[in-house]
Amino acid sequence: MNLGSQPGEGSKKKSGSAFGRVARYTAVRIFTLFVTIIIGVYLTIMIANMGGYVDEIMRGEIRERITMQVVANPANKNLAPDARNKLVQEKVALEEERLGLNRPLAVRSLNYLSNALTLNLGRAINMTSDSGSKQVRLIILERLPSTLLLMGTANLFLFFVSIFLALGLSRRYGSFWDKLIITLSPTSAAPPWFYGIFLILIFAAIFKVLPFGGMVSAPPPENPLDYTLSVLEHLILPSSALIISAIFISIYNWRTFFLIYSSEDYVEMAKAKGLPARDIESRYILRPTLPTIITNFALLLIGLWTGAIITETIFQWPGLGRTMYRAIGLYDTPVIVGSTIIYAYLLALTVFLLDFVYALVDPRVKVGEGN
Amino acid sequence: MLRNRLMTVLGLILVASMVLAACGTPAATEAPAAEAPAATEAPAEPTAVPEPTAEPTPVPTTRKGGWLDEIVFSVVDADAAVTQIQAQAIDIYASGLSSADLPAIKDAGLKYSSQNGLYYELTFNPASEFATGALNPFSSAKVREAMNWLIDREYINQEVYAGGGLAKFFTITTQFPDYADQAEVVRGLEAKYAYDTEKAKAAIDAEMLAMGAELVDGKWNYNGAPVTLIFLIRNDSDGTRVPIGDYVANQLESIGFTVDRQYKTSSEASPLWVLGDPADGAWHIYTGAWSATVIDRDQGDNFQFFDTPSSAYGFSPLWQAYTPSEEYAKLADDLAYNRFQNLEERKAAFSRALELSLEESWHVWLIDGKNFAPYSENVEVTYDLAAGIDGAQIAAYTLRFAGQEGGQMKWGQPDLLVDPWNPIAGSNWAFDASAQRGTTGAGVMYDPHTGLVNPLRIERAEVTVTEGLPVGKTLEWVDLAFEAEIAVPAEAYADWDAVNQKWVTVGEKFPEGATAQVKSVVYYPADLYETVKWHDGSNFSFADMMLGMVMTFDPAKPESKLYDESRASNLDSFLSVFKGFKVVSVEPLVIEYYSDGYSLDAELNVSTMWPQYGYGEAPWHTIAIANLAEENGELAYSADKADAAEIEWTSFIGGPSLEILAKYLDQAEAEAYIPYASVLGEYVTAEEAAARYANLKAFYGEHSHFWVSSGPYLLDKVFTTEKSLTLKNFADYADLADRWAVYGEPKIAEVEVDGSANVTIGGEASFDVFVTFGGEAYPQADIKTVKYILYNAKNEIVAVGEAEAVADGQYVVNLTSEMTKAFEAGANKLEIAVVPFPVSIPTFTTFDFVTAP
Repeated sequence: MNLGSQPGEGSKKKSGSAFGRVARYTAVRIFTLFVTIIIGVYLTIMIANMGGYVDEIMRGEIRERITMQVVANPANKNLAPDARNKLVQEKVALEEERLGLNRPLAVRSLNYLSNALTLNLGRAINMTSDSGSKQVRLIILERLPSTLLLMGTANLFLFFVSIFLALGLSRRYGSFWDKLIITLSPTSAAPPWFYGIFLILIFAAIFKVLPFGGMVSAPPPENPLDYTLSVLEHLILPSSALIISAIFISIYNWRTFFLIYSSEDYVEMAKAKGLPARDIESRYILRPTLPTIITNFALLLIGLWTGAIITETIFQWPGLGRTMYRAIGLYDTPVIVGSTIIYAYLLALTVFLLDFVYALVDPRVKVGEGN
Repeated sequence: MLRNRLMTVLGLILVASMVLAACGTPAATEAPAAEAPAATEAPAEPTAVPEPTAEPTPVPTTRKGGWLDEIVFSVVDADAAVTQIQAQAIDIYASGLSSADLPAIKDAGLKYSSQNGLYYELTFNPASEFATGALNPFSSAKVREAMNWLIDREYINQEVYAGGGLAKFFTITTQFPDYADQAEVVRGLEAKYAYDTEKAKAAIDAEMLAMGAELVDGKWNYNGAPVTLIFLIRNDSDGTRVPIGDYVANQLESIGFTVDRQYKTSSEASPLWVLGDPADGAWHIYTGAWSATVIDRDQGDNFQFFDTPSSAYGFSPLWQAYTPSEEYAKLADDLAYNRFQNLEERKAAFSRALELSLEESWHVWLIDGKNFAPYSENVEVTYDLAAGIDGAQIAAYTLRFAGQEGGQMKWGQPDLLVDPWNPIAGSNWAFDASAQRGTTGAGVMYDPHTGLVNPLRIERAEVTVTEGLPVGKTLEWVDLAFEAEIAVPAEAYADWDAVNQKWVTVGEKFPEGATAQVKSVVYYPADLYETVKWHDGSNFSFADMMLGMVMTFDPAKPESKLYDESRASNLDSFLSVFKGFKVVSVEPLVIEYYSDGYSLDAELNVSTMWPQYGYGEAPWHTIAIANLAEENGELAYSADKADAAEIEWTSFIGGPSLEILAKYLDQAEAEAYIPYASVLGEYVTAEEAAARYANLKAFYGEHSHFWVSSGPYLLDKVFTTEKSLTLKNFADYADLADRWAVYGEPKIAEVEVDGSANVTIGGEASFDVFVTFGGEAYPQADIKTVKYILYNAKNEIVAVGEAEAVADGQYVVNLTSEMTKAFEAGANKLEIAVVPFPVSIPTFTTFDFVTAP
């Protein structure tokens, strides 16, 4: 990618080597992204296993858990120590085999990696999906709709409202509303769950107009319309918490970003020429900022995948954030790797496509040109 | 300009308010008074049946099943439980909250149940030598013993648990039957080991000097370096072990030790203290915690479990490093296996083991924690004194809105639907079991106040025990007899032949004959097969029970189509005590069961053979279709087998399993399939099988799951992602809703002592003891014992005896002139211990008096 010319210069060089240049660039880009993914995922595997120390932790936990299970079973009360120890040892061996602890981490880590790269997400070690399956695919997929609903609602609202308001503010630099947003922007220092607690207290505990948490009322309504309305009702507080915690800083960031472009000479020239404000915004401010906006939007979309761990917990929202948190706590490597690899592929694909999108929206950009 | 300043000020105020909100301290709370210690004891001899409850329900009902129309389970965060009940978002939060939440529960005006929480202790590294060359003070029993005096348990209880726990000195639980049985012994030992820092310091100083340490500027040194104790303090779980650890570390520092406080999670600490070699010297003390969630009427095995290398924890190098005295090790083993001729022998051994456990102090016990489950003022429920509400079999049977039949109860708990449900090897999460219990029938009902059992589906039982075993009985429904030898009939079934699909008789397995330690004969009511129905409408049949027995054996046999390696070891341990069963009569149903395993209570030796598998109850036809799915390699009951074969873990309530089970239901229905037809064919006809499958199909069509049980509520709908489920009243349930209404509040005795506060040495004295419950005299027939323990001014026990009964709720303690002669002038104490039959919790009360010449 190369910023080759000034806006308006209209560089449209075409050459016979353009296809080869793009093809070469594409191949190199794909290769480097793939290597990056391999390194990133392998690091995730090793970190999730603490470089092998998790094996020790799990061995200890298995022995404690199985011992307590054997002791707690009244049928084993009269077992002699030898018979009881034999029973424990047999169960421990089975459990270690089930969890793959009888194989070295180096071997397991390569298995995890190859499975991940081929999107063979496999089976979880300890976790089950909401419906009871141990397939990592289902563990993730069953939580995906609720995650996308919450994160999508909040983040898309945030994104578009922020840009819309920021554009307006950039035209009213120093106005009351501009100063109000600047003043309120430190409120974003508090995380969403902080606001979530207050919202629950106010609207659920005191006014009793909105639910405390969950995705739908219990028991869930059987009528699809009632179900949808119930979900929307439950969506209000968590999405509000996510929005409130980020809205002011987001507007402030975009407004500052647009301000920089608003003060460019060619914008001043346009203003001097008496062009309508809307035209100035769309042609002279939005267009050169489009790559940045698109980048942010694309990253936002794949960011929806990650969920919001603590906010989901506060609101008992069945999202992927809580799933990942639980997987980390249980050292469930396949689930951690499964979620990571999907995010990694999405990120790589986004980065790869963005290069081409930049070239489409910004004539100054040439794919594969330069170093 | 002014506007700019205003905005700046507004911004600053905003930031400051957020910081203040984040740093807010919890409101001061009232420290509740500690509840009196208490528990029941192993019965010495048969007694009259006690009235188990406080107040019977006055108005009879015609309603069958549970009191409620629906119970809706959902997931609620523990931190929001009290607020949600106040806001009427839920009616009950069935899981116990910690002692720290008790003031908030009380402030909110909510009712609550009390149940056992974790119990806390200090585990010492006993290694005599460390590889590092450092001194290990805790290799000395004297130092470990002195730790009892160094720690103020009541301080921990008040400061950390808001007074909601109980000071704990022993491996046994403070409110369980063995504690009550040993009342005078435990109270004497508690007095002996009461908080006394001077005594602790003197004992530790002497021992440290003997080990070659020296006190330099108030700090213990060894070989020129400070004696640094590495203290592993758990900072996860309920978080209370951090303040406990800090307190103990402070106490140790106050007598000259240097303490290295290492705060670690379970995962971080476990490789050090459980799996690490104690001789490595990587740690000295660990803050341990354990749990006891059922009323255990025989805690004799705790000494072996906690303090000896023959413990189930024997895999741990730490337990292997324990070197209990020969006497203590033998007592611990004897108590674990009840190697006694009678209960008196056991009691004497127990008393001595208690003494030795404190003298050797491989652990120092700190607090018996309590948890509290809150619920609305208009909710009534019977809870188990150990298991609370969510762990009590009886809870769903008694849960109701006060004075109301029907209604929808909203039940919150921390999690739900964690793992797949199947009766053979499904979810073992307490969160899932709490919902399952409402759906489940059983042969017997656990008494929530004593840990004994009462008939639920059975009618009565006879228990025969080999002479010389320490077994007693309490309740009338069971008959207890002793015989010199119990022969197992040759025609009884002792094992299973998985190849030929038939039972192996005792005569075939033990040609020379077999004997058993215990025989139980269970009689079921004559109308069992008419009154008891499964939730899909099928009538209960003997085939349900027979399949239950077959499934104990068949999947554990390598020749079986259902073979599951993880079941094999279970069967081995089962067979080590199982001797056989015999179906005496199918109609009416009478079953004999022979075993070498026994409990101290005859009631707990009754084997009902009810089709309650390890993880739920089930009729034969739901097991049949799941068996078909497993035989065909599409599902597996256990997680182990499912993982090994990379197939789905059988779930009766959701996920990919349902489609597979539905497919095999169609197949079974088409073939009128009878599982293990060589055995069950005797009890089931093809028409009956077809009818059952048709019932199941209709049930699945209506409820979208296969969880069929016979309890007072049926599982109506399950919402796996939404994490909620609904239980619906089962109108065809065999019993009326008020069957267990006799269990009201736990009938814990209230005791008052009255008498002269001044006693003349050498004179006689008399003290009146009033035992009541709810303002009414406690019937004498319900009182097992009223003991008195007399302490002198040095807090030493000088006399122990039984109070004399005068009338219901009235007793008297007479001190003779001989007894008062033993006192010196000063303040003395009379302690009364009341042990009732209807609850396992004794009540202790003290009365102070002054003696003068």
